[in-house]
Amino acid sequence: MTYVLNLTINGAAQAIALDDPRVTLLDLLRERLHLTGAKKGCDRGQCGACTVLVDGRRINSCLTLAVSLDGVEITTIEGLAEGETLHPVQQAFIEHDGFQCGFCTPGQIMSAVGLIGEGQAGTDPERIREGMSGNICRCGAYHGIVEAVLDAQATFQDGVKRKTA
Amino acid sequence: MPDTLPFPPRMGSNAGQPLSRRDGPLKVTGAATFAADNHPEGMLYAVPATAAIARGRVTGMNVAAARAHPGVVEVYTPANRPPLMHDPDEKLGLFGMRMEALQNDSVRYAGQPIAFVVAETLEAATEGAALLAPEYAAEPARVTAETGERYTPERVGFGGPLSVGAGDIEAGLAAAAHRLETRFETPDQYHNAMEPHALVAQWDGDKLTLDTPNQAIVMACGLFAAYFGIPAENIHLRSPFLGGGFGSKAVPTGAQILTILAARELGRPVKLALTRQQMFGPVGHRARTWQTLRMGLDGAGKLTALHHHSTGATSSFDDFIEPAAAASRTLYASPAILTTHDGIRLDTGTPGAMRAPGEASGSAALEVAIDEAAEVCGMNPLAFRLANYAEVEPITGKPYSSKALRECYEAGAKAFGWASRPLAPRQMRDEAGMLTGWGMGTAVFHCPMFPASAEAVIRADGTAVIRTSGADMGQGAWTALAQIGAAALGLDPDQVEFESGHSHLPDAGVAGGSGHTASAGQALHNAGEDAVARLAELASTDPASPLYGTGNAGVLARRGRLYARDDESRSESYAEILARAGKPQVEGTGKGARDPASAETYALQAHGAVFAEVKVDPELGQMRVSRMIGAFAAGRIINPKLARSQYLGGMIWGLSFALHEEAIHDRRTGRIVNADFAGYHVPVNADVPEMEAIMIHEDDPHVNVLGVKGVGEIGITGSVGAVANAIWHATGFRPHRFPVRIEDVLPSLS
Amino acid sequence: MYANEYLTGEAELAEYVRPRSLEEALAIAGRGAKPLAGCTDLFPATDRPALGGALLDLTGVEGLSGITRTDRGWRIGAVTRWAEVAGAALPPAFDGLRAAAREVGAIQIQNAGTVGGNLCNASPAADGVPPLLTLDARVELASAAGRREMALAEFVTGPRRTALAEGEILTAVIVPEPAGRGAFLKLGARSSLVISIVMAAGRIDVAGGRVAEAAFSVGACSPVAVRLPALEAALAGLPVAEAADRVEAGLVVPALSALSDLRAEAGYRAEASVVLIRRLVAGLTGGAA
Repeated sequence: MTYVLNLTINGAAQAIALDDPRVTLLDLLRERLHLTGAKKGCDRGQCGACTVLVDGRRINSCLTLAVSLDGVEITTIEGLAEGETLHPVQQAFIEHDGFQCGFCTPGQIMSAVGLIGEGQAGTDPERIREGMSGNICRCGAYHGIVEAVLDAQATFQDGVKRKTA
Repeated sequence: MPDTLPFPPRMGSNAGQPLSRRDGPLKVTGAATFAADNHPEGMLYAVPATAAIARGRVTGMNVAAARAHPGVVEVYTPANRPPLMHDPDEKLGLFGMRMEALQNDSVRYAGQPIAFVVAETLEAATEGAALLAPEYAAEPARVTAETGERYTPERVGFGGPLSVGAGDIEAGLAAAAHRLETRFETPDQYHNAMEPHALVAQWDGDKLTLDTPNQAIVMACGLFAAYFGIPAENIHLRSPFLGGGFGSKAVPTGAQILTILAARELGRPVKLALTRQQMFGPVGHRARTWQTLRMGLDGAGKLTALHHHSTGATSSFDDFIEPAAAASRTLYASPAILTTHDGIRLDTGTPGAMRAPGEASGSAALEVAIDEAAEVCGMNPLAFRLANYAEVEPITGKPYSSKALRECYEAGAKAFGWASRPLAPRQMRDEAGMLTGWGMGTAVFHCPMFPASAEAVIRADGTAVIRTSGADMGQGAWTALAQIGAAALGLDPDQVEFESGHSHLPDAGVAGGSGHTASAGQALHNAGEDAVARLAELASTDPASPLYGTGNAGVLARRGRLYARDDESRSESYAEILARAGKPQVEGTGKGARDPASAETYALQAHGAVFAEVKVDPELGQMRVSRMIGAFAAGRIINPKLARSQYLGGMIWGLSFALHEEAIHDRRTGRIVNADFAGYHVPVNADVPEMEAIMIHEDDPHVNVLGVKGVGEIGITGSVGAVANAIWHATGFRPHRFPVRIEDVLPSLS
Repeated sequence: MYANEYLTGEAELAEYVRPRSLEEALAIAGRGAKPLAGCTDLFPATDRPALGGALLDLTGVEGLSGITRTDRGWRIGAVTRWAEVAGAALPPAFDGLRAAAREVGAIQIQNAGTVGGNLCNASPAADGVPPLLTLDARVELASAAGRREMALAEFVTGPRRTALAEGEILTAVIVPEPAGRGAFLKLGARSSLVISIVMAAGRIDVAGGRVAEAAFSVGACSPVAVRLPALEAALAGLPVAEAADRVEAGLVVPALSALSDLRAEAGYRAEASVVLIRRLVAGLTGGAA
């Protein structure tokens, strides 16, 4: 049986025919659509390397059946920058050395974008650490990650203030 | 040579500057291509089936069911596995290990590959492997010290000596005012790089392209080639990014060999990506140790004897004994020091090098033992360490090439506020009532170098390209090595293109042992200097050049120009020199390796001091590290931004060693029961407190021409002891096994 | 997916169906399809991608999601995600449930995992169960044959076992209008993203300086999370200042059948339960432990 999904991925609407209902969103992105930014670190929702946004919410794409996502909007790491202009979270990760090997980085960044969107973390590093704890970094770049999230969040808030001023 | 001053004499370079990673934009946009991200046309997926027993034989598998599953293309078992040109049970070279490539039906550890399914989709291959439903003739698993076979290995680590020492231990103990014997256990730990091992193999005739993360790219080609009877040059191994290595991605493993074999047999590219669970067994680990330290102390708190013995676990079929006792060879002065090892064979995969092999486990034990010795002597742990400070390397009597450990102690203690630490344990509580303790540990790591080579080309437009097969697994090789190359070339890093990360480049050696920056960096430095010398030769012999007659030793290279050393008004740009000479480029080559004379003369070690604060819930026994400060002296720092990340990452590994990591075997089945990230705990962001890494500069003209010692592994070494000693200071309980468990601490609290 | 044809019972059951109406869902469930929602437990529980027969995805069923106030109290739809619970405007009695919601895995899990899934999965360490027990929650079950309701305490019958009948679906959790304030504490070996060693939930209603009503529960300690009636009875009527001191092992431990496993020994779990309960009582009565 073929399952047809209508998805919007990084702003582009697509109809996807799936021959196999077992395919996870992560495997759909990586193996069938060749959007390989999201990474498979555990395939069990225990590491966060596969984090993407579904309708703005961060989720583990390795736990999500692709067939269940008909009609949703998905943002992956590939959809964050606008052309050559990096998203503020991406820029902040570079500036604060928020990664080493880079494998968990797409998941960390999507999780950070989700976290900032949730608007719950504030400027307390402890809350940021809690909010970023679904994303394991084996290299141990956690300090740079927390600094980057705080910095990017401040950039957003400045932007919001300027817009509303 | 134009300039033989020690590195970095050149002005205008960015070496030593905290540049951001050059691969940063690729990594934050998802554009960095890791091995499993490759999708050559027509690619198949491979999934190994793994053993559910730890010892015995596979007596049957439902191969027919797997083959019948839609999408399954081929199922390999020992019955039909095509021949290899090298026996997987024969070791290849110093770093080669015995592996499982379906050579027979025996099972040597749980998680061993016992069949290999290749299919059109990942889902079909996974399902095919599950359908095999193997049956076994199982023998009792030997996964405990009691059931394993004790033996005396020939070597420890990679060819290291079993026993090293000097002086008379028994006499030292006999003469001591205090004697102390203390035992430690460290657990099995698994590297668990975030990127599971992966490989995409494509054959074109007898040429092979491999996309696979590898820490020793050129060496690995030789190893892979041996199994297929092709010249190493026929393999193009591409490893632009490694999603972490930590020692587990240097040598081929069985599943990788089978993937290459399947690609050849089936005439299509094949991709393998291990699951997280499959990382627990066939790709190495840090094995358990059982360590004993015997110490004698005189009335002034000086060591009279130090005997460190470590029993290391290895597999039933290969040897890698953790050189844990080696940590005691170089750190503290004692008239008698003895470091010895033996082994226990268990039904596990073969262990291997994992971030700070030897020192991590060894210094965990040593640093706790040293704290116990300080306690016996009634001394502050820092004062005790200073009283036993090794001014020269104890066993050899060699001077250190440089050793700013005293400065590390001072800077770390000051930043931490160590001076106000009460001597006795259980004296401090925080405002929430948590028992609070402060502990310290000394960090140490040796400074190996591996033979490396590089080339540098200055091009007609005055820019350059430098080449070496370096491996960036997160330590920042793409950036730091480029900075070194650019400095040698007298160019800004933006002017230098860096080709790295594949095997059709000069051999950069091994990215391991914290030696990559020193080794490949020295090769690049020499290559850059060589290219500049050739350019200087062109200018100084050209009557039309303002540098005519300077001789190539009479020029300085800076910002893309050569200057006369004695008259800087005479200068010419690289582009001008090449244009007039009518040459498209000049090429230089260089090598990096340890100078045997300096290794003979000097003890070469990096050092550091780590201070930790731990809070313990007095009712629940929960332990949290609340603060950590490390001060490290590792020669010259090429890029402080990246070095800081290496130090902090190492310290987090130390925290993890002390409190979290442990693979637990089911004694009955021999299986690891916590073989995933839910069960095998590594720290998450919320486990990691405020941390600081202080860098103490060392000018070291002896360690190598760059003065670089290496920063990748030292951070873990002092940190384990610092956390354990802080737990003691908080609770009065002295940890002797890692990770420290709640149930260990609890009795001391009630 | 369109599922209308399943209502007639004529179509062959596909491997995956995502109906829009409960009627369709019940028809499909009646034919043996396995219900699922957030999928956060589906893959970790299996080593193979075969989904073990037909799957019935409930996340598209109208009326199964969201939290509403009814004349019988609060109704939490079965496929309400934990993140929605954490962020919902609910009375203080739900504070424990909201705190537990924030402890379900990581936020990525809370954004997918559902209340109903957590209950039906029936893990002894399910974060949602203890606070719901203290809220006297009931579950609403439906099948093609009809609907029924039962106390949550009766619904979870053992580790990974529930009272769900073949073809039956959990449609909602019903919480009678609760009084007082709730709280939740979780103890794990890691600071976050961790399976509990022990967790405890409590709810206390204070009137006139005394404990008017107390409800306490411990999870991850026993095969099934349990209420602590002896403790609740002992606390009832006490002046709030004396409540925390009244917590003692004898009122807590006998109610538990503490387990030993990889994560902790039974003895530690029992001791830690008492500590957590005392801290909950202290927090809910405004005193220090």
